[in-house]
Amino acid sequence: MSELVLKIENLSKTYMLGKRDVRCLCDLNLEIKRGQFVAIMGPSGSGKTTLLNIIGCIDKPTKGKVLIDGVDIANLPESQLYKIRRDKIGFVFQSFNLLPYLNARENVELAMELTGKFKGQRKQRAKDLLATVGLLGREEHRPNRLSQGEQQRVAIARALANDPAIILADEPTGNLDTQNKHEIVKLLANLNSTQKTTTIMVTHDEQVAASAERILLINDGKIQDKQAQKETFFDNNQKQSSR
Amino acid sequence: MGILTRATRNITRRKTRALLVIVALSLALTMLISIPPSITANQEAAQKTIDSLTASAEYANSMVNRVATEIDCNLPLAFRTDAGPYHNESVLEQPLMNVTDYSNLTSIPDVASVIPILQQNQRDSEGKYLYDVIGIPLDASLLTNYPTILPANITAGRNLQAGDSGVVVLQERVANLFGVGVDGTVNILGQNFKVVGIQGQDAYNATAAYMSLDEAQIITNTTGQAMTFKVFATSIDNVGTVENDIKTAYPELSVITAKSLINQAHDMQQRSDEQIQRAQAGMNQIQSTATVEMGVVILADCVIVLFIMLYTVRERTKEIGTLKALGASNKTILGQFMLEGVLLSLIAGIVGLAIGTFAATTLANLLLPYPTDAGFGTVMSEGGILKASPIVVTITPQLILFGLGVAVLLGALGSLYPAWRAARIRPAEAMRYE
Repeated sequence: MSELVLKIENLSKTYMLGKRDVRCLCDLNLEIKRGQFVAIMGPSGSGKTTLLNIIGCIDKPTKGKVLIDGVDIANLPESQLYKIRRDKIGFVFQSFNLLPYLNARENVELAMELTGKFKGQRKQRAKDLLATVGLLGREEHRPNRLSQGEQQRVAIARALANDPAIILADEPTGNLDTQNKHEIVKLLANLNSTQKTTTIMVTHDEQVAASAERILLINDGKIQDKQAQKETFFDNNQKQSSR
Repeated sequence: MGILTRATRNITRRKTRALLVIVALSLALTMLISIPPSITANQEAAQKTIDSLTASAEYANSMVNRVATEIDCNLPLAFRTDAGPYHNESVLEQPLMNVTDYSNLTSIPDVASVIPILQQNQRDSEGKYLYDVIGIPLDASLLTNYPTILPANITAGRNLQAGDSGVVVLQERVANLFGVGVDGTVNILGQNFKVVGIQGQDAYNATAAYMSLDEAQIITNTTGQAMTFKVFATSIDNVGTVENDIKTAYPELSVITAKSLINQAHDMQQRSDEQIQRAQAGMNQIQSTATVEMGVVILADCVIVLFIMLYTVRERTKEIGTLKALGASNKTILGQFMLEGVLLSLIAGIVGLAIGTFAATTLANLLLPYPTDAGFGTVMSEGGILKASPIVVTITPQLILFGLGVAVLLGALGSLYPAWRAARIRPAEAMRYE
């Protein structure tokens, strides 16, 4: 298996705003190795979420190549794209996007159900994943009976359900309080280090980004690598706690 | 937790909306299941009416036919001169004929039957008319085929029957004259007869004592003679030919046909045809009304499902985006929303059938009321009185299958477009939807 899980070549994305073309991403090139934890930062409207959506096959580029595990998804039809989303991508959304009429376990199972896994197999894996994210004993609770932090944990477990090549997290801590934010970031970092899952996280928060081993900055549709901060989020946190 | 569970939970989590939709759909479906039995009941009623009209027309026609095919043959009236106390008296009388002289009447083509009838009037000692003695051949086959030769309008007792002997039917004036009733005995021209029936006033206003031909001939001393030959042609169409043939063969006879009755028969046939046509036109009208009603109900059902599902898709756009992001195919999304529409409609179908068990009969009569027009939506009773026959809807297994089938079909049809729209939503747009 190639070391590169994602390779983007000359990626451009242009939106039509009335009669005007609005360039969102411009000749962007990027390579991400398997198992990396990458944070993407940038001001509002810089194209972070657009880039994440293109990588996650829920939006299409205007130009360029996007190779996930060597497969160029840029020109694939919807009949192929849904399989890539199902098998290669795990999404974690800012507002969790759990289905309110399913309990925590069923939300995690849903991702597996789409692959056609058997019920028994699904159920056991969902329980294991929920235990991994610290929700043992909360499996049968519906989202409205879980805290926001717990809901995001369920969303992370759901993203991991099909052993995806990449986890895409769009502002995963955006709706959380400080305590929950720290816990979720810690969880993502732990999962990345223990399960070697490639994680690409969009965030505004520098402290959150600091937990990633690589930080990318997007500005005016172009990307630039930023050297990982020497003081990690965890170090900062420790210092703040000791004061 | 599969697609069915998700669909069911989505329906149940919006209970008020689901309930309202189910109530609306179920009422529509109740109407829908009420219509087919109503059509069937109307068809049956119409068929009964048509059958009844046809049977009545056939019977009336055959009765008229029997009379209309009748040709009365007599000798012309003649004067008889009787010696009086002071001078001879001339009396106008109907001469009698020897039956054997006219035996060839039966050989004339298209003659079905020749029936000799004896009619002899009886007078008192002063020559005043009292009554007629009428002799009828009481032969079983003749009475079966030509019942009109018997006295009509028997008001008490019974009519003459084949093989009767020593019995008489008296017209009520004759009964009063003799002072007897049914089962009484009357002496006519020296012979006792048992009275078996009393005749009311008939169309001919006859004042007569009816008995067997043989006995009438014996008591009136006219053995082998008859006053009239009732010749029956094989059909109305042959009456003219037979009339001419009789006149040729027996020019001395006065031949009288019932031409006006023939015309009446034609009129009756025409009226009957018109009534049947009206009944059929009524049935066609009912069917077209039912078709329109069914169309409206089906359309209303589809529109209800369509709008509710469009609203649901709009409301759940973000959920659709999430499902797509998780890897749901367009088919999965299409299937889920169609299944929801079908389930909703199916539940409504079951509720509709439950309501229909109690309300379908009332609804059927309301939706397709019987026209007041005589002859349709009514059945002819034996007495000829028209009676209303209300529709009764029975919930049969076929009707249950029909109701559920229609519910599923309408659910599928109504949710097809919303489900297609849901499946076509682009995930990126769906995720941005608030």
